[in-house]
Amino acid sequence: MMGSVSTRYALRSLLRHPRRTLLSMLGVGIGCAMGIMATSWVGGGGEMQIRAASESGAGHLRVVPAGWVGTRDNSLRLADWEKAEAEVRALAGLRGFAPRARANGLLAMGNRTAGVEVAGVVPQAEQATNRLVRNSRILGRYLRTGDSGMAVIGAALAEKLDVELDDDLHVTLVGRDEMQSAMLTIVGILSTGSRDIDSAICHVTLEDLAAITGYEGPAEIAVMLEHHRLIDEARAVLAGRITGGNTVITWKEVNPEIAANVDGDKAFTRLLVGIIVIVVSLGITSAQLTGVLERRREFGILMALGMKDRHFMGLIALEAVLIGLGGAVVALLLGGPVAYLLATKGVDISSLMGGDFSFGGVLLDPVMYGEFGAWVVWYAFVVSMAATLVASLYPARFAARTDPADALRVG
Amino acid sequence: MAPSDSDILVSAKDLTKTYSVGKVEAQALRGVTLDIRQGDFMAIVGPSGSGKTTLLNLIGALDSVTSGELTVLGRDVTKLSRRQRAELRLRSLGFVFQAYNLVPVLTARENVEFVLELQGVGRERSARAIEVLAEVGLSEFADRRPLEMSGGQQQRVAVARAIASRPKLVLADEPTANLDGVNAETLLNVMQSLNEQHGITFVFSTHDPRVVSHARRVVTLVDGKVAKDEEKSAG
Repeated sequence: MMGSVSTRYALRSLLRHPRRTLLSMLGVGIGCAMGIMATSWVGGGGEMQIRAASESGAGHLRVVPAGWVGTRDNSLRLADWEKAEAEVRALAGLRGFAPRARANGLLAMGNRTAGVEVAGVVPQAEQATNRLVRNSRILGRYLRTGDSGMAVIGAALAEKLDVELDDDLHVTLVGRDEMQSAMLTIVGILSTGSRDIDSAICHVTLEDLAAITGYEGPAEIAVMLEHHRLIDEARAVLAGRITGGNTVITWKEVNPEIAANVDGDKAFTRLLVGIIVIVVSLGITSAQLTGVLERRREFGILMALGMKDRHFMGLIALEAVLIGLGGAVVALLLGGPVAYLLATKGVDISSLMGGDFSFGGVLLDPVMYGEFGAWVVWYAFVVSMAATLVASLYPARFAARTDPADALRVG
Repeated sequence: MAPSDSDILVSAKDLTKTYSVGKVEAQALRGVTLDIRQGDFMAIVGPSGSGKTTLLNLIGALDSVTSGELTVLGRDVTKLSRRQRAELRLRSLGFVFQAYNLVPVLTARENVEFVLELQGVGRERSARAIEVLAEVGLSEFADRRPLEMSGGQQQRVAVARAIASRPKLVLADEPTANLDGVNAETLLNVMQSLNEQHGITFVFSTHDPRVVSHARRVVTLVDGKVAKDEEKSAG
């Protein structure tokens, strides 16, 4: 570092043209604030989608049988599922888990039929982990442990089949050897808020599904963690413990379209922020270059006095740092409150969704919240500093390459 | 008595400098041969365009030589890199220019201190700056910025900055050009006193007869050549 007089020189040089300096700081600050808002919004949106996907049945992690990832074959069952369940139960950061099995089949009432994927569930676990159950309005009741021959279906499915509570449904499922049929009494009708999802819900107990299909035990264990940031670590731990060919996958592999959406949003935000930073940086470069050209004779004299290239680079970089600091403060003043409001009040996006809160079979929240935290502070400082320092490279090099005789002659 | 080699600070032989502007070439110096000795208080005079400033720039390692030999403080400046020339200027040479010499946003003390800081002088640089400002009679103006001082005071601050690191050679390009008679006289007296008391060699380019009257040696350039090199007798 060049020391205190250099710092005063850099600071006062910026104050020679306070309007220009203020506009530069505002430019950096507004650009950075937009970055904070976009990152908060998209980060919050991504988190919401991950939460929605994981709570809509996928889980943050899912233990599946060998071969399921490539085939999605509902007849596959977990090997030694009780051991697998014990390993899940021992996982650090576990919020809950839900064993399930699924079977493709046909529901019929009179001459009305509907193709559906019937889920065999553990009622208590499902109510604790699945928002399709927990957050929905229910007519009647949800399944209970020990229920037999009972089903809960979605409202749209009930409408399609024209059934009501306590009606008996005829269900035909793909079983071990052949198609198997049974009668199920409707004990609950779920309204999730999404017609798409409501037309695909049919829950029975895991025991009933096993009895009808002949396939024993769960085909998956959906694992909910305390936070999605624990996914990679927990997956590694669980994958190391799980045996018998069972596989641990993440919500991304269960809901690839949601994962692509989240990744796409993040990439777009990075691109957007990158473009903003480049535009802002070019503005700063222009302003700093103007400042360097205005001080050409001054720099010529300083060069004559022995100021070296690195001193000039340091001086211009120091000015950039000071602009960056001001820009970071502006960014925090503008972007911080907006990000805080996004995170605490959220934005009601229900009107944008046309009343259907689902995407890719996942029940989304009607109110979207942004992200807010200490990252806002470091984001403001790191992005502002980086933008202004990168922007100062060319003016700094230009200043350092000043020809002293030429600068003194021409001024 | 002929000066010994150790007394010679600058030695120029057949020095030429040609500027090119597009296809047009202008020869500013056409074979200057000159020695500058330790303790000289020397004026370079001549009409406009005679090459005075060009010669000072070459001696000050600010510009590159087209041909000829130039040794400054024992170093062949024609062979020095840009960085080495900057180092030579920083450590061994002082400069005073015609006008707008000082950094306008720094006080008189900070202007002097800045050069000391570039030289790597530590905490004592502030006291040293005050000391040299006192030598030019400006200690009470230490905290004033250039715009709060007269032209003469600004030039004295520039002299203080030039001598802060006690260089052997100070080059001054028309230092009195923008000064009235009183201020010019004060500045010249300050420089003369530094020359006599500390043995600092001063070389000026000038049109100003007041400067010429103070100089002990006067070199006249005409059309890029030394036309006359006169020593005044002491007293």
